[in-house]
Amino acid sequence: MNVLVVARWTVLEARRRRLLLAGVILSVAFVALFAVGFALLYSAQERSLLSVQARGIAPPGGLDVREELLAISTILVVLGLYGVQFLAALLGLFLGVASVSPEIDSGALHAVLARPLSRLEYLMGRFLALAGLLTAYVLVMSGSLLVTARTVAGYQPGDTSRVMGLMILQVFILLAVSLLGSTVLPTLANGVVMLALFGLAWLGGIIGFIGTIPPGNELMANLGTAVSLLLPADAVWRGASFHVLPPSFLVASSFTNGEDVGLPFASTAPIAPAMLVWALAYPVACLTLAVAAFRRRDL
Amino acid sequence: MSRTASAEQEKATAGTEPPVPAIATSGLHKAYGSRVALHDLTLTVPPGEVFGFLGPNGAGKTTAMKILLGLVRPTGGEALVFGRRPAEPAARRRIGYLPEHFRFQEWATGTELLDFHGRLAGLGTRERSERIPELLERVGLAGRGGERVRRYSKGMTQRLGLALALLHRPDLVLLDEPTSALDPVGRREVRELVRELAAGGVTVFLNSHLLTEVEAVCHRVAIVSQGRVVASGPLDDLAGAVTQLRVLLDRVDREVLALLSRNGQVARVEGTAVTLAVDTLDVAPDLARLLVSSGYRLYGLVPVQRSLEDIFVDLVGEVREG
Repeated sequence: MNVLVVARWTVLEARRRRLLLAGVILSVAFVALFAVGFALLYSAQERSLLSVQARGIAPPGGLDVREELLAISTILVVLGLYGVQFLAALLGLFLGVASVSPEIDSGALHAVLARPLSRLEYLMGRFLALAGLLTAYVLVMSGSLLVTARTVAGYQPGDTSRVMGLMILQVFILLAVSLLGSTVLPTLANGVVMLALFGLAWLGGIIGFIGTIPPGNELMANLGTAVSLLLPADAVWRGASFHVLPPSFLVASSFTNGEDVGLPFASTAPIAPAMLVWALAYPVACLTLAVAAFRRRDL
Repeated sequence: MSRTASAEQEKATAGTEPPVPAIATSGLHKAYGSRVALHDLTLTVPPGEVFGFLGPNGAGKTTAMKILLGLVRPTGGEALVFGRRPAEPAARRRIGYLPEHFRFQEWATGTELLDFHGRLAGLGTRERSERIPELLERVGLAGRGGERVRRYSKGMTQRLGLALALLHRPDLVLLDEPTSALDPVGRREVRELVRELAAGGVTVFLNSHLLTEVEAVCHRVAIVSQGRVVASGPLDDLAGAVTQLRVLLDRVDREVLALLSRNGQVARVEGTAVTLAVDTLDVAPDLARLLVSSGYRLYGLVPVQRSLEDIFVDLVGEVREG
């Protein structure tokens, strides 16, 4: 019951601080930009490919028009969703960083925690509300992008629910880790640490990706995985991106050149089961640690 | 013996036992690293009492209060509020608290803040809708509940803090410097409020460095300095325990000091004026007769009423020097 009271209060805070308004305006702008860009690029490409085909010249790479268009829309959708996950990830980090320590610093939390409210309930209420807002954000944004791609190009991702599920998991990971930071670190220090961690995870993904480029570099691939264990956010996004790719795209790209180079911001392989387990346990572990640390903290 | 009989007996003995103290601490200790904020705080506040916790800034008053609210974990000793440890959320159900700097979520309106706290305190919808306007009226914020706390003046925020503290009709109210931001009229209102609470049987624990405030409303005080209680007791006892007589003579010599020392303790000699600490003012008439018969000319024999401030300065000064 208290958890819900705190959650409701947190949503009110987001509204009052114009966070919701700003989020909605920026999201609408982002989705509109994507829709216009996608439609224009897609139709221009379609026209030029069709005209090339009409003149009887074979397209480069041995792909037919349909495959070529599918590849283009796949890349556009992946880039669009990459943008969504990046924004959602930053939002998750910022919300987490701003969740507890500013309230301690300002002293506003003293009166609240002097009520018959446990620290566990307080943290759970905060997490629940912020996680709910972020889930709505990811669903609306990625949903709008996918609907646009489907309407314009008839695009069908491999598995929509896994895409969204993993993107939401990624945001939960970032929210939970920054909330943990918020219970033990001052606000600014936490912000710096979280951004550094986030950057590191991204770099880990890139290193891992380079490690998979044929002929392959096992050391780099392992290094990428090791960094991902520290913060599995980018690894989960790569897992999500795999399910964005339509099955036909995967088939086409794997037998075109005989070797798969993939996309730098996405993955042509699903997330490893062990990494998925780690990614699911990660936010739970962060929240558990956050509660333990917050219980011991003097205000 | 049947179970009902033993239960009845228990009830009977419970009736004769002294009531559970509102606050009971024993050997409370709090250190932040090497800095000790609270040394060895042992005190009991019975229900219904207005207790003043008095000390200079940094004496450990706020730390003690935060321990009583479960906001700070003691490094030693124990604190009980109505017999329960304040770390349990349920123990805080009966406490109302006005924090030191009365900082609240500034983005909210006064009414929203009261509603949030009302929900946390377990008040139902109906209770909240009745109680909130009533309290805003009582603390002098009628008609201002819809404004954001950010726009409130310091005094208004403190009034809002008082409303928050009293929201759920607590049995114990902890006030940390409740009048620091108020003007003289506001201060008087708070004094009235504390008296009203006391009349209603509410226990009040008041942190203050303002002696007049404590003097005006408290039944009992404890004076703390550098994390220790240096004096405590009913206000009258505390002021009375160190009654002084100021003796004005024509001359001060060794004989007169010896004579005075037999009737009290010489605290100060300033020229021909001697300040004598006595147990009771009843020694004054005899002392006058004695001095005159010993050949001294007595110009004055004045009882010095020591204010709480004098006691405070003496005690706190002693600790600082020591």
